Amino acid sequence: MSRQLTFLMCSPRGDKSASHSIGSYLVSLFEEKGIVVKTFGAYRTLKNQEKTEEMIKSVNDSDIILISSPLYIDQAPYMTIKLMDIISEAFQQGKLSNKTRHLFAISNAGFLEYYHNNITLKIYEQFAKQNDIIWAGGLPIGAAGTYAQYPIPEFLKMLEQLPEEDPRNEIYTKPTKILDSVIRSSVNHLSKGEIVPRDELKKLEFIPMPLESYVNGANNGWPQAAEEFGAKDKLRDKPYER
Amino acid sequence: MSYVILNGMYKDDSFIPRINQMVSDEFQRNNYVGDTVILHDEEIKPCLGCFKCWVQTPGICIIDDYGREVAKKMIQSDVLVYITPINYGGYSAELKKAIDRSLGLISPFFRVYENEIHHEMRYDEYPNLVVIGTLDKPNSDQEEIFTELVQRNVLNLFCPKYSSQVIYTDDDEATIKKKLKNSLMEVGEENE
Repeated sequence: MSRQLTFLMCSPRGDKSASHSIGSYLVSLFEEKGIVVKTFGAYRTLKNQEKTEEMIKSVNDSDIILISSPLYIDQAPYMTIKLMDIISEAFQQGKLSNKTRHLFAISNAGFLEYYHNNITLKIYEQFAKQNDIIWAGGLPIGAAGTYAQYPIPEFLKMLEQLPEEDPRNEIYTKPTKILDSVIRSSVNHLSKGEIVPRDELKKLEFIPMPLESYVNGANNGWPQAAEEFGAKDKLRDKPYER
Repeated sequence: MSYVILNGMYKDDSFIPRINQMVSDEFQRNNYVGDTVILHDEEIKPCLGCFKCWVQTPGICIIDDYGREVAKKMIQSDVLVYITPINYGGYSAELKKAIDRSLGLISPFFRVYENEIHHEMRYDEYPNLVVIGTLDKPNSDQEEIFTELVQRNVLNLFCPKYSSQVIYTDDDEATIKKKLKNSLMEVGEENE
């Protein structure tokens, strides 16, 4: 019988999000290994009782649960926590059978440094522990906005075109290749019913460029984004100032 | 001096209302003015992650519901209090929903602060933060995560002073009062 995975895509931004892009890449690799995947978007699942029940049934049937979620103010957003609460409640009510399940999670942030995601990953671990799910590990991903724009496989193909001496290789190619390798290794382990070794996940613990360079690059984008709404000169407004 | 309590209890919680009342009483004894928002009683939609509170209506969430009022209360208070059951080490979904909607209180622009990337401040002043978490029994893993989470919130929300406190549901009245008093003192005028 095929192994099953429940993918909880927890970004409110839906398929425009890094959570969707990165999570879907893992899903495609799991499917290549013959694992049956059922995907649930948090927004739709929470809005629709039938969908919620379908998600619980899928978790019940699954060997692996995959959460992919952004970081909002140091923690996963409301929708992710709400989904975890619904699953915990189902466990407490005996709606979920006692089978071996693994939880693997992706936490992605707009900050450059991977470690802003660490608390969220620890929270997922506690959620797993509380419900007798095996914590298989998580991917802490910084500067994740890039992957919302460019899914990892396509991005790697684009980066192949860069000349060897191009400085973007250090900033983009190297980190994306490492992330790709950790993802592939994680999928391999999880597909065999194993947790992902800590040493493997630790490969993501690096900062690919000077902080100031990232700050300058990111800050240039906001006035451009606001221009579309005629708000370029209002970005520093203080509407609730006392 | 003013305060606002964001009460993130779940509907069936019978312990947190007691804590909430004791915190309010302590503020009033010290001549603070303020109120409590019982978050599950309010119609607050979840954050859409659209960033329009940064680029379209800077500082104000695009969703016109009570979430806007909560964000306004947060930034206009001297002391902001979160009360929440400790949920896997983090906050309750109810509390997190309100916090997500307060994203406009910070600026979209990044800065390097204490050798890490954080957002810039939107406002010149931010409230002190008191976070009170409840647990049925001691749980060192979850308490450690909770404390770390509060510390990260303080960095990202620019709170000048803060305290975090864990209260167990079987703590006796005197212990609870002492814990709450200490927490409020840590951020109050007495400490200046």
